[in-house]
Amino acid sequence: MKVKKLFRKTLFGVLFLFFLILISTSLLWIRTIDTQLSAEYETNSRSIAKTIADSSVDILLNRDLSALQSLIDQFAEIQSIRYIYITSETGEFLAHTFVPGIPQDILDSEPNSTEAVQRQLPGLGNFVEVGMPILAGMAGTVHVGLDTDLVALKVQRAIGQQNYLISILVVVGFLSSIWFVNLAAKPLGDLLAYAVALARGDAGADGPASKLLERDDEAGHLARLFAHVARSPTASENRPDADSGESAG
Amino acid sequence: MLQTALAGCVLSPAAKAAGAVQGGAGPAEARSAKSLSRPSARGRQDEIVLGVSAAFSGPSQGLGIELYRGASAYFEHVNRAGGVGGRRIVLKTYDDGYQPDPSVQNTRTLMLEDRVFLLFGYVGTPTVTRVLPLLKKFQDENIYLFFPFTGAQPQREPPYGDFAFNLRASYRQETGGLVDNFVRIGRRRIAVFYQADAYGRSGWEGVKRALERHGLDLAGEATYRRGQQFTSSMREQVEILKRGSPDAVICVGSYAACAAFARDAVDFGLEGGSGPGVPMANLSFVGSENLLKLLTDGQEDSRRYTELLVNSQVVPSYHDTSIPAVQEYREMMQRYDPQPPQDLVTEPYTPFPHSFVSLEGFLNAKLMVEILRRVGSDPKRSDLEQAVFSVRNFDLGIGEMVSFGPDRRQGLQSVYYTVVDDDRFVTLDDWEAELG
Repeated sequence: MKVKKLFRKTLFGVLFLFFLILISTSLLWIRTIDTQLSAEYETNSRSIAKTIADSSVDILLNRDLSALQSLIDQFAEIQSIRYIYITSETGEFLAHTFVPGIPQDILDSEPNSTEAVQRQLPGLGNFVEVGMPILAGMAGTVHVGLDTDLVALKVQRAIGQQNYLISILVVVGFLSSIWFVNLAAKPLGDLLAYAVALARGDAGADGPASKLLERDDEAGHLARLFAHVARSPTASENRPDADSGESAG
Repeated sequence: MLQTALAGCVLSPAAKAAGAVQGGAGPAEARSAKSLSRPSARGRQDEIVLGVSAAFSGPSQGLGIELYRGASAYFEHVNRAGGVGGRRIVLKTYDDGYQPDPSVQNTRTLMLEDRVFLLFGYVGTPTVTRVLPLLKKFQDENIYLFFPFTGAQPQREPPYGDFAFNLRASYRQETGGLVDNFVRIGRRRIAVFYQADAYGRSGWEGVKRALERHGLDLAGEATYRRGQQFTSSMREQVEILKRGSPDAVICVGSYAACAAFARDAVDFGLEGGSGPGVPMANLSFVGSENLLKLLTDGQEDSRRYTELLVNSQVVPSYHDTSIPAVQEYREMMQRYDPQPPQDLVTEPYTPFPHSFVSLEGFLNAKLMVEILRRVGSDPKRSDLEQAVFSVRNFDLGIGEMVSFGPDRRQGLQSVYYTVVDDDRFVTLDDWEAELG
């Protein structure tokens, strides 16, 4: 399909617009989903930490650490939760889910902090860790590590799906634009051919010219105007073959 | 599901030929955690049905199988002699693969559908700790868990201690004994290698408490994920423990992982503050024979992996035939040759003629029968607790009297220590000479 020169810029403009939409919506989605998912996960992590903290009180007071471990193991099965550990009020690690050992970064951190902190643990990934005091901190603190790489993966998946859909729309839209442009450009092409024929004096009223002259649009009006101008005496005098006839005679 | 009337449990051809009857409710059906449909199998009037959920598959299958075999030998003996009050003892058996969720599901089925008389011979801490709340929920039904193969605290203490009866010593007693002995011979830097779950935590806590009594702290700790095979690498764990230069390592795990760790500790040069060679202690749950088999099978020089192993046991050595119960056990294991529950055991497994685990199963069954006799001719669940409490200074035949009471829900207190000699675990008499 040959694109008429007149509309080439328009087509590229349309294409550019599509890409602009694609990029801007992607960026907006990334920001929105990432923010909302992270907030959602952090809220869930805090809820889980609170549940563990509330459930741990009796267990901790009984000093039954195997029951405590059993409790956190159940929560650690939740997909986004990558680790849980419980520290005593004195900072001692009472139970945890780390394999093969507690990362140095965590050993070095403040054991009873309840602030949400970003962690990058070598070999494990990136995490947001939330803390929740047990018995107002008198019995220790529960720490829950949320896997932010998982959030990033989910965002990537959502954006990937959105971009896939938009890309399909871009291709369909681009091809449709070419088709529409060519459809719109065809009467112009016919008009150009008709004008050339008129100028040469070999434009008849049959065939493609008749269809063009019958059109009720700008192309039809222009064709009829060209025909009218061509039939005028001034036009006959100025016609190239008339000039050549005179000179030949 | 496998319902086995032990007058004819899954018996060897020899035992069948000896007159055993294939019993139970129809053909044995395997119903593991993978689940198969099964018929209702409530106990008949001439049966007492005991519900079992244990590891018959996976890397810890040896524990479930050996415990079952030991118990089967004694129940078989009793059933052949007419059962308890004319009732045969039947084991309703499920596989949980040493995983908590299937264990809970199996227990629910045993209690609500199979309506077993009691629960018996469960295997593992992560499984049992998850089952205990179920027992509490149905406490009005008086369903008790008897003699689980775990030394953890949850079934020994409130709020769940009232729903279980233990025979074996606890992990605290095992780890406490190991630590005391190591410290006594000058090995004061003690590290722990443990399973990252309730079992591992129970052992970890035991070691930590025992060290605190001596004014010491852990020299290091490393964990592994439950379900590891012998082929797994434990190099990372070895490297972590190396940093603490331990004089001894106490392993709280299952046989496959502990064998892998013992192998890698030697191969990757775990050396302690006392120089090359760090004793590696394992708890009774490890399954000593299974551990030893992995470390010796196909090894040219297996001694370097086993020479510093020291395993605690909660039953005496089955090699010591001067002990009456050991004689009895060996005789019945030979006579009845109990086989693994064949429909549950789908992976290849060669049973041991004798093992610490099957001896424990045997002693569990022996005490269980005594309790069932004390319940009377018309057994009711509600009478079970009083029947257990009536056991005072009962002689199981191992030289330690068994007593139960409202404040005493663990029958035995003794811990034994063993080392490898001539490719078998033998009693450790002199710590100083062996490991000092």
